[in-house]
Amino acid sequence: MALLEVEHLKIYYFTRQGAVKAVDDISFTLDKDKTLGLIGESGCGKTTMVFALMRFVAPPGRIVAGKIIFEGRDILTISDKEMRRLRGPGIAMVFQSAQNALNPVMTVGKQIVEEILEHESVTKEEAWERARKQLELVGISGDRIKSYPHEFSGGMKQRVMIAIATACNPRLLILDEPVTGLDVIVQRQLLTLLSDLREELHLPIIFITHDLAVVAETCGEVAVMYAGKIVEQASTVSLYKEPAHPYSQALMKSYPSIKGKKGKLRSIPGAPPGLTNPPVGCRFHPRCPYVMDICRQEEPIFKQRDGRLVACHLIK
Amino acid sequence: MEKDEVLRVENLKKYFPVRKGLLQLISSREREYVHAVDDVSFSVHEGEILGFIGESGCGKTTLGRILLRLIEPSSGQICFDGIDVTSLNRKELKSLRRKMQMIFQDPHGSLNPRRVVSEIMRQTVQIHRLAEGKAEEDELIRNALEEVELKPAEEFWNRYPILLSGGQRQRVGIGRVLILQPKLVIADEPISMLDVSVRMGILELLLRLRDRFGISLIYISHDLATARCVCDRIAIMYLGKIVEIAPTEDIINNPLHPYTQALILAVPVPDPTVKLHDVPIKGYVPLTPTEVFSSCRFHPRCPYALEKCHQEEPPLIKVGHDHYVACTRATKAN
Repeated sequence: MALLEVEHLKIYYFTRQGAVKAVDDISFTLDKDKTLGLIGESGCGKTTMVFALMRFVAPPGRIVAGKIIFEGRDILTISDKEMRRLRGPGIAMVFQSAQNALNPVMTVGKQIVEEILEHESVTKEEAWERARKQLELVGISGDRIKSYPHEFSGGMKQRVMIAIATACNPRLLILDEPVTGLDVIVQRQLLTLLSDLREELHLPIIFITHDLAVVAETCGEVAVMYAGKIVEQASTVSLYKEPAHPYSQALMKSYPSIKGKKGKLRSIPGAPPGLTNPPVGCRFHPRCPYVMDICRQEEPIFKQRDGRLVACHLIK
Repeated sequence: MEKDEVLRVENLKKYFPVRKGLLQLISSREREYVHAVDDVSFSVHEGEILGFIGESGCGKTTLGRILLRLIEPSSGQICFDGIDVTSLNRKELKSLRRKMQMIFQDPHGSLNPRRVVSEIMRQTVQIHRLAEGKAEEDELIRNALEEVELKPAEEFWNRYPILLSGGQRQRVGIGRVLILQPKLVIADEPISMLDVSVRMGILELLLRLRDRFGISLIYISHDLATARCVCDRIAIMYLGKIVEIAPTEDIINNPLHPYTQALILAVPVPDPTVKLHDVPIKGYVPLTPTEVFSSCRFHPRCPYALEKCHQEEPPLIKVGHDHYVACTRATKAN
């Protein structure tokens, strides 16, 4: 049985200008011990998507349709109290900006202890002892347990966030742009830490980023999102070797690499569409180099090809 | 200045005084300084794109701002187009800035939200008195808009910045610079806030401006992979100093300074078959680098640090054609 199954999920934001279809009919599954990377540009709905997994979607946003089945239970139907118990030991999340996600007037140790005491019946001493171990797990000296967030650099704050998220041994970890905005060297140290942790704790991870290279180095499987939809899902190796969807192809070509020969730059013409009135038919058709008549009229459905899923009319 | 040099910078320094509390002021008289830019020298040739790459806090943005005198330097010389920039008065600065312009990082913050695109650009035209009469102004604005591919110009003429995408806003910022036909443009992280799919379009545009108008560019960024796409030469900065400067492919394929090597190893590669490297250097960049260096400033993090590295600061020496490194271990070339 899959750990997580998302079925036909739709999340709309109801604004005065109309409904913004941030997530529009998305389905995917995640097996135990797998890492899934969600890539896409800003505004493609990737953060909204994972906020739904934590049931964090707040008005004007609403989950309009679909199911999120985690360990056999639809988490959209359980009570708030049950959901609260699930966050932490069940699904844990590391937010995009560690700077804002940590409480500035509470020591980092206390923030980890709080998480542990909320979910487990252990004594305070045990909780503090575990908090110290958590800090050491993410490569911070246990002596800094009484430090405040402002005493840490950006990369270390992000480590503290990971320590909090993994404190209750979650069964699924969501990372929302965990290395964005950090310097390359700090970024690399953090990526190494994450892959070590993954191996040590056998943790299934959903990794959200706009950075193709970061996904390539961390995830086994990738889903490419565009304008509220997944357009292609495949194993990382096959997607990077031979992207099937024109958007994935264009994305790969527009990404510069420091390795190998200096290639020519290729940008994707146009800009991502607004999601209040997305283009009819395939949402990528206004920017697609291979656009056909059918693309302007009919929305492509997911088709299986060589073990991957692609939503494009070109795929027969 | 050599013949085809547009800009020559010599021994440029900027020290920012550290603000202290009252008690600390009473207890110690000595003021501390952050050495944001510490003895930097380089030159930019006509039609060249020179990249300044480094982590946050290395002084690359401060450097860019000093060149335009948006920040006053502590000492050093900036020679632009035969003029000593450091000695100019306010009026002379205005004519300098007509020839030297800046593209900012944040396309959302750098355009006036209460003016439409054509008015934003008209301001530039009027301040520098580039045109006589409205018809001529319109003509200049229209040409600039089409040059940055905001076509047809009429469609963007009366739009407020909020109605433009990030990429389009950055194009307005570039168009505003282009209208002045500058000799040198300083682009401070021009694409770091844009989406991956539109980044390359902006870089293409910068390259085209260079090719069409012979504009020299200083490209400031933290991202080596994109810098590789546009720069002719790259300077790597660490704690206010240039540690290595060389033609782009030399930096990428033959980095000599341990810091450059680590930076290149740390850049993620969009290929899942490449294995994750560990970065050989340890520790972090100090948050406020106030100490005065009498040693190599990279030695506490350097995996190859020798006895000598603790004792003296290595100067930038020539090690190959156009390739300069500030490392004790490097050997001088003729």
